[in-house]
Amino acid sequence: MNSSKKVVLVGHFGVGKSSLMRRFVQNTFSDNYIVTIGVHILKKEIKIEELNLTLVIWDIEGKDDIQKVRSSYLLGTSGFIYVIDPTRSQTYERFNEEIDFLKTTYPTSKIVSVANKSDLIDIEEFKKLLEQKNISIDYFASAKEGIEVENLFQTIGLKMVKNV
Amino acid sequence: MTDSEKLIKLKELLLSEDRDFAQNILQKLDSLEDTVNTHEKLSEKVNPIIDKKIDTFVEEIPTKLGPVIADALTKSQDKVVEALFPIIGKMIKKYIQQEIKALSDSINSQVQTTFSIKTWQRKVKAIFTGVSEKEIILSEMNQTSVEQIFVIEKGSGLIISSASKQESIDEDMIAGMLTAIKSFVEDAFKKDQQSLESIQYELFEIHIQNFTSYYFAVVISGGFDASFKNKLENKLFDIASHIKTDAVDKEHITIKLTEFIHE
Ligand SMILES: Nc1nc2c(ncn2[C@@H]2O[C@H](COP(=O)(O)OP(=O)(O)O)[C@@H](O)[C@H]2O)c(=O)[nH]1
Ligand SMILES: [Mg+2]
Repeated sequence: MNSSKKVVLVGHFGVGKSSLMRRFVQNTFSDNYIVTIGVHILKKEIKIEELNLTLVIWDIEGKDDIQKVRSSYLLGTSGFIYVIDPTRSQTYERFNEEIDFLKTTYPTSKIVSVANKSDLIDIEEFKKLLEQKNISIDYFASAKEGIEVENLFQTIGLKMVKNV
Repeated sequence: MTDSEKLIKLKELLLSEDRDFAQNILQKLDSLEDTVNTHEKLSEKVNPIIDKKIDTFVEEIPTKLGPVIADALTKSQDKVVEALFPIIGKMIKKYIQQEIKALSDSINSQVQTTFSIKTWQRKVKAIFTGVSEKEIILSEMNQTSVEQIFVIEKGSGLIISSASKQESIDEDMIAGMLTAIKSFVEDAFKKDQQSLESIQYELFEIHIQNFTSYYFAVVISGGFDASFKNKLENKLFDIASHIKTDAVDKEHITIKLTEFIHE
């Protein structure tokens, strides 16, 4: 069996959306910051049990407000990956609001949240901080070190396929 | 150019990442902001002085500034060229492509029209069909051909079905990018209720035909004239009548598309 789903990476400028995509699809990383203009699309096939699932991943330019993202880029999305940068608090200040916005606007799509650049922080400390702020993040990943990247894409795949 | 090079080109041209471009803009914005802020503060004090100076300045432009500018340009010729090249380069490239095409067209047509029976056939055809002789020549030279056809879901940009003459490059990515371009253009012209009908890409024309939840994208090589467009649109309406989006029978559509492309 084969199937395709659209996955969109969202989050502020510079949180590492493009880096996560590049790590996942091409297994590379660069320290240079290359600003994404418009949309960049890559794809990768993963296996969910017997299903060959093609993730068509849209890496869109970062916006500090999800509502400013061109809505036509978000239409038809089955899975969102919401990325924050733990070293910059403004990238998760409005996290709960933004997640709520996605949930109400795209009620059938799945969301996985990820704190990227976890190589730069003390993860346990950061988790405490998040708890205080009542923010719950699914993955603590690093595009640079290749940590948890595979898992987070696998999880969004599973959620979309199993509708959980 | 191979197919994958074309894909990269398409990406470069239309979407892609462009660090230099973005950084340039940021830098320019910064310096612009700076200038504006300072200017506001300074203008009160400076304006009266400038007014006085400006008359003499204008008088002196030809003698003083002219040589300075010319000198600066000569000295930093490379830099000027470098700065202008990306912008002008694209324009020139397109222009030259067109010129070469026009030139080869005219040579071909001259060769073909001289002393041939075909000339007379064409003239007769032109008289009876009302299509100009030139257009007949053009269409004979430039056989129109459907290279590739996609049925693409709106929004997600996922392929519902596709067929292609040659084993082709990554269709999923092409479909996604076409959808992104289309959304972008249509958003930009939202007020006018316009939808994107075609994209010209190298020597191909991508014809786009919209339906409620999906659209057709047809890649065409050769001349794309009004009569061909008309035929194509009818054909697509015909195929569309077989597409029921609630229960998409992908195989059936693919058979239809494959038939069409090899017609
Ligand atoms: N240390 C570290 N830096 C990262 C990581 N991921 C991305 N970066 C850097 O963060 C910057 C922004 O990354 P980018 O992927 O372009 O962010 P985007 O704007 O969200 O697409 C770049 O300079 C990357 O090198 C990571 O996991 N660890
Ligand atoms: Mg980016």
